[in-house]
Amino acid sequence: MPFYKAWLETRWRFLSGLAVLVCAAVAIVLAYPRAVAVLQEAARFDRASELGRQIAENLDLLGSYQGYVWSQWFRQTMRQLWALFAVMLGTGGLLAQTSGGGALYTLSLPLSRTRLLGIRAATALAELAVLALVPALVVPLASPAVGQSYSVADAFVYGLCMFVAGSTLFSLTFLLSTVFTDIWRPPLIVLCLAGFIALVREALQGPSTASLLGVMTAESYFRGHGLPWLGLFAALALSLLFLYAAARNIARQDF
Amino acid sequence: MAEPLIIETRDLHKRYDGVAAVDGLTLQVPAGSICGFLGRNGAGKTTTIKLLLGMARPTSGEARVFGLQAADPTASVAIRRRTGFVSDEKDLYDYMTVAEMIRFTAPFFPHWRADLEARYLRSFDLPADRKISTLSRGMRTKLALLLALCRRADLLVLDEPTSGLDPAVIEEVLQAIVAHVAGEQATVFFSSHQIGEVEQIADRVVVIDRGRAVVTGALDDLRDSYRRVQLVFEGEAPDMTFRAPGVVRVRRQGRVLTVLSSLGAEAIVGEARAMNPISIDVGAVGLKEIFLETVAGEH
Repeated sequence: MPFYKAWLETRWRFLSGLAVLVCAAVAIVLAYPRAVAVLQEAARFDRASELGRQIAENLDLLGSYQGYVWSQWFRQTMRQLWALFAVMLGTGGLLAQTSGGGALYTLSLPLSRTRLLGIRAATALAELAVLALVPALVVPLASPAVGQSYSVADAFVYGLCMFVAGSTLFSLTFLLSTVFTDIWRPPLIVLCLAGFIALVREALQGPSTASLLGVMTAESYFRGHGLPWLGLFAALALSLLFLYAAARNIARQDF
Repeated sequence: MAEPLIIETRDLHKRYDGVAAVDGLTLQVPAGSICGFLGRNGAGKTTTIKLLLGMARPTSGEARVFGLQAADPTASVAIRRRTGFVSDEKDLYDYMTVAEMIRFTAPFFPHWRADLEARYLRSFDLPADRKISTLSRGMRTKLALLLALCRRADLLVLDEPTSGLDPAVIEEVLQAIVAHVAGEQATVFFSSHQIGEVEQIADRVVVIDRGRAVVTGALDDLRDSYRRVQLVFEGEAPDMTFRAPGVVRVRRQGRVLTVLSSLGAEAIVGEARAMNPISIDVGAVGLKEIFLETVAGEH
């Protein structure tokens, strides 16, 4: 029953996320023929400038269908949308429900706070896994529509990396939701932090495979260097640490 | 033989940012009683209830429910398994319907009374398919009460159960509580600042003021032991201090000296005779006067 409650509380965020991500995946796949046309047009670009270099890199990726899908879907659109919904699913919880939201009723039930928190985290993580895997697996399903094929295994790997690494964003929002009573500050802080990390990485021109965003998109796997095991384990450890801190935090709260 | 204690607090303190919400509260609630927890707004009633149910941790002191430490997280789960609770705000899940709320709650309590559920749904006229967000305050209160009563709880903790309700619904709610206690032998601990309703259903009273219990005991004992002694003098009433035990308050107004005692009137009357008043009048005191003299008079 607590799972049912957690589901009721998150279902609209989850379902809208699923709808948006699936539609975006289909749209990206269907846009491939137009991207090929643009590719031919853009071949005349000046590649000397920084902007030109970035455009050129993208154009190179667009050269193959696999590169196009990874670059346009997994590296950009899906990563950004998925991160947004991960953060949205991390918000809320007992502290945000203290003012007429049912927190006292929940706390009057014979359940420990750790269990309550665990159930909410497990429900949201299960939803995030679906949000990562289903839209990823839509790509191989939709690819024949543009005369292409895409490996189910690759799609699964990208979805899994998105879920494991991206869960740190969820867990951090989840932790901040045990600190702030409003539902706005935790997602804003995490989204600003994610944006800041992306900007710093861009400015330093460091290896993207080593960053959280690089692990989320499994860039090393795409470039043929295997799965980013270290990054995945680090992200997993960080997520568990954030969830543990959230449990400790909520256990000592007064309501 | 004395009834076992269902609720017991000893020198309980709770401070929020340096402000004492509960300040050395000691109280006892025996099994089978209906205990009214009376106090002004902000006296510490809700904080005490939160401490009893493990929703807040005490700064110091001890709170026990069913003999278990309320501050211990594991014991607190066991306490809540045997307790029905209605919060001041009638805090429920607005996104659920009445039926969903019941379906959600019932599995937590293995001895859930489906027969009572059906009976209260009918007698409270609760619409099963209505969203809770659309219910009136009266309906919310009735639903919260249904959810508390059907658990077959040994203890009902009700925080201002009738606040904001019209007189007809108040009567309905109070009657439901009394009928339930008569049938199920539960203990009730309910907070209120309505003296009338405490007098109507409680057999014990705890009056709390600024986080401390200032009056505590069986309602009949309080009525028996509290006395108002009014002394009228020929001239200005003397400014006298009584040595008799139990003097709660002395008021001097012109020729009249009024003494409120919590331990009968005999000793006070004996002392007062030495001052040669022209009349001595001893009267019984109602709960309202006890409350006003012990609590409101302090402010």
